[in-house]
Amino acid sequence: MTLPATARTLVPAGEPDAVARRHVVSALVVDRPGTLNRVSGLLRARSFNIESLTVGTTDEPGRSRMTIAIRGDDGHLRQVLAQLERVIDVLEVHDLTTVPHVELELALVELAAPADAETQHALRGVFDAAGGYPISTDEDAWRVRLTATPDRIDAAIEALRGLGLRRLVRAGAVAMTTGPRPSSETTPSTTQNGATPA
Amino acid sequence: MTALPIPSPAATPATAPQPAVAPRIGARAVCEALVREGVTTIFGYPGGTVLPIYDVLREFPLRHILVRHEQGGTHAADGWSRATGGVGVVMATSGPGAINLVTGLATAMMDSVPLVAITGNVPRALLGKDAFQETDIVGIALPVTKYATVVMDPDEVPFAVAEAFEIARSGRPGPVLLDFPKDVLQLDTAVPHPEPHELRLPGLLRPVRGDVPEADELAELIARAERPLILSGHGVQIAEATDLLRQVAERAEIPVAHTLLGIGNMDETHRLSAGYAGMHGWMHVNKAIQQCDLLIGIGCRYDDRITGKTSTFAPNATIVHVDVDRSEIGKNVHTELGIVADAGDLLAALLRRLPQSEPRTAWLDQINEWRKVSEARSWHGSGAWREGRLSADYVIDRIGEATDHEATLVSDVGQNQMWAARYFGFRHPYRHLSSGGLGTMGYSVPAAMGAALGAPERETWAVVGDGGFQMTMQELATLVQDQIPVRIAVLNNHRLGMIRQWQEIIYDENYHSAELIGPDLVRLCEAYGIPAWRATKPSEVDEVIARARATPGPSLIDFHLDEAQNVYPMMLPGKGLSEMVEGGDR
Repeated sequence: MTLPATARTLVPAGEPDAVARRHVVSALVVDRPGTLNRVSGLLRARSFNIESLTVGTTDEPGRSRMTIAIRGDDGHLRQVLAQLERVIDVLEVHDLTTVPHVELELALVELAAPADAETQHALRGVFDAAGGYPISTDEDAWRVRLTATPDRIDAAIEALRGLGLRRLVRAGAVAMTTGPRPSSETTPSTTQNGATPA
Repeated sequence: MTALPIPSPAATPATAPQPAVAPRIGARAVCEALVREGVTTIFGYPGGTVLPIYDVLREFPLRHILVRHEQGGTHAADGWSRATGGVGVVMATSGPGAINLVTGLATAMMDSVPLVAITGNVPRALLGKDAFQETDIVGIALPVTKYATVVMDPDEVPFAVAEAFEIARSGRPGPVLLDFPKDVLQLDTAVPHPEPHELRLPGLLRPVRGDVPEADELAELIARAERPLILSGHGVQIAEATDLLRQVAERAEIPVAHTLLGIGNMDETHRLSAGYAGMHGWMHVNKAIQQCDLLIGIGCRYDDRITGKTSTFAPNATIVHVDVDRSEIGKNVHTELGIVADAGDLLAALLRRLPQSEPRTAWLDQINEWRKVSEARSWHGSGAWREGRLSADYVIDRIGEATDHEATLVSDVGQNQMWAARYFGFRHPYRHLSSGGLGTMGYSVPAAMGAALGAPERETWAVVGDGGFQMTMQELATLVQDQIPVRIAVLNNHRLGMIRQWQEIIYDENYHSAELIGPDLVRLCEAYGIPAWRATKPSEVDEVIARARATPGPSLIDFHLDEAQNVYPMMLPGKGLSEMVEGGDR
C-alpha cells in the first residue's frame, strides 16, 4: 500500500476485523540529528509495534532511508504511514509489502567449530539456504555472515541453535522495490512542499 | 511600526550563494526575523542563556510581556494566537524555564494552535556536559510540538526562524520550538532573511488548495440523505470558513452541531445551529448524532469526548470525515468517506455543487422537539436561580447577556468549561478559547491575558474554577503590571467540581481530595491592586458584572456557587452517546 500522491484522497475504511500481518515500510528522510528520534518516538507514542528499524544513507546527499518492519492490519498500517508522513523530516513513505520488492537482512553468527563431519555437513546445508559466507574460522569457532530474507534468517538461526550457535547479531531488514517505481516515487509528491523542483 | 534596516534580498534561487548583509549577532537576527513575521508581542521570562536577546530587544518594535511563570507565557501566546489567528510567540531561558513551557506546548499541539517558542540553551561547547541550567529541551519537546530543533550555527538563524513560522502556521497548525545555544545568539552572521520561496522544507505537508473533486461524492450523499447533520470542529475556524459553513448549511438545509473548539462556527441563535455535542453536550444534539443518516464531520477529530464508545456512535449514519490532516481520517471512527482537504476549500466546493434544498421540516422539527425537552431539563431551564441559589449556568448566562455575546470568553477546564460552553450563547467565531484536547487546568487566566492583548477591540473574560485559578494565579501580577483588561469570573464552589461530580456519580460519593481550600479572593486581589467583588446570590450578579465591565484594567469576581451543582447531561466513561445520564438536575 502506498498513500496516493494527492493530498485529497478518499480514504477507504479499514476492515475492523482485518488480519494483522507483517509490513515493510520504506521512508525517505532528511539526514540530520534527531530524525531517527522523531520517527522512533512517534512509533512508540502511537503504540506501533516495530519488528526492526534500519537507517542508512542513500545516493542523494542529505537523504537517508529507513526501513521499518512492523506488524498490523491495513487500518493500522494506514495510520503508521499517515503519522510518519506528518513528520517534518520525513519526505516519502511507502509500504513495500504490496508491490514487487526485495527484502534482505544481514546476520553475523559465531558457532562452535563443528566437532564432526556430520555437524559440518548440516551447517553447510543451513548456510546454503541463508546466503552463508565465511568470515573467519579457527580451531575453536566459525564466524559466518548470513544474507537472506528475514524469514530465512529466522529459520537458519533456529537450525543453528542445535548446531553450536554461540553469538548472533542481526542488522534488521532492508528493502527495495524491484518493479517499475511507483509514480509517487519518481515524481515529487504533491503533498510535500508544493514548490516544483528546480 | 518602525522601518528596520532589513535588506530585502532579490528573488535568488536557494542554490545560489546568498548575498551577505551587514553582520549582526544572532540575537538581532532572531528579533529581525520576528518583526519580519509580523510579530508585535512576545510573552517571556528572561534567564542567563536568553539574555543576549533581552539585551537587544529594545531596538525592535516588539512588546515584551513579562509573565510570572513560563507556563503562563505559553498559554498567553496560545490565547493571543487563538484570538487573532496569528502565530503566538513565547520565550524562555534554558533548563527549568524551557521545561516550564511544556504544558503550554502540549496544550497548543492538541488544539492545533500555531506557536513559536524560543529557548536559550547553554553555549555549544557546554552542550551535553550537564552545565548549569542545561536540559535537552528539544528531546523533551519532540512529542508535544509539530517541530523542535536546536539551531547550532549563527548562519542558520534567519532560515530557522522563518521556517519555524512556516511550519507552525501551514496545513494543520501547531507549536514549534527553536532552541538557541547562547553563543549562537552572540556571534555574528551575515546571512540575509529568506524569502518565502527560499525556505527549505521539503517534508512539510501542505494541503492542495482549490477545488475538491471529492465534493461530488459528498454532494450525492447529501442529495440522498433524509436526516443529514454536520459536526463542525476547530478546523472550520482555523480555515476561516465559518461564513461558508453557514452558507452550506442554508443551501442544503443541514443542521450544524459543534465540538467544544467548534463553538462559534455557527451563531447559536441561527435556526440551523443544533448546538454543542459530546460528553456534556446538549441531549438533543447527541440524539441528532445518533439518529442522523448522514454525519459530516468537518475539521474535527471525532475524539472520545464527542463519540464515547465508538461502536455505538452514530449507528444509523454514513460517516463522512473532512480534515486537512490525513492521519485523522479513520483514526477514531469507521469512516465511509474521507476527504483530505482544507475545510474552507471543501465547503466552497460543496457550495458550487449543491442546489438549494427544500426545507427538511420533519428532521428539523424533530431536533427542535428534542431541544425543548433537553433545554427544559437543563440546570438553566430548571431555574434554580429563581429560588435564590447561585448556580453557574446563571452566572454564565448573565455574562453572555451583559456583553451582548460579543466578548472573548476564555474558559478553564472542568465544570466551568462545560457551563461556559453550554450557557454563554456564542454568536461569533474566535470568541471562545479553551484547552479542549489536553484539558489543561490553569489555562484560562494566562490565555485570556494573551487574548486581551491580541484582540483589544473586544472585552475579554476568563471563566475559571477555584481549582484552575489557583494553578496559574501568579499571572495576576502580569495583569497589573501591563494593565491588561481581563475580567476574571471565578466560579468558586470550593471544590474541584468535576472531580466531585465523578466521585459522586462513579465512585459512590467517595470524595477524596475534591475539597479545596483557597484564599479570600477579594483580599488577594486587594493585595495585587485589582478591583474585586464577591457575589453569593443571583440578585447580586448583574451588579458585579457591571462593575467589572466599568473597570478599565483587570478585575475579578468571586462567584460563590452552590457547591453540589453537577453538569448534566453526562456521558459516563466507556459509554455511548445513547447512554447519557441526565441526573437529578438540581
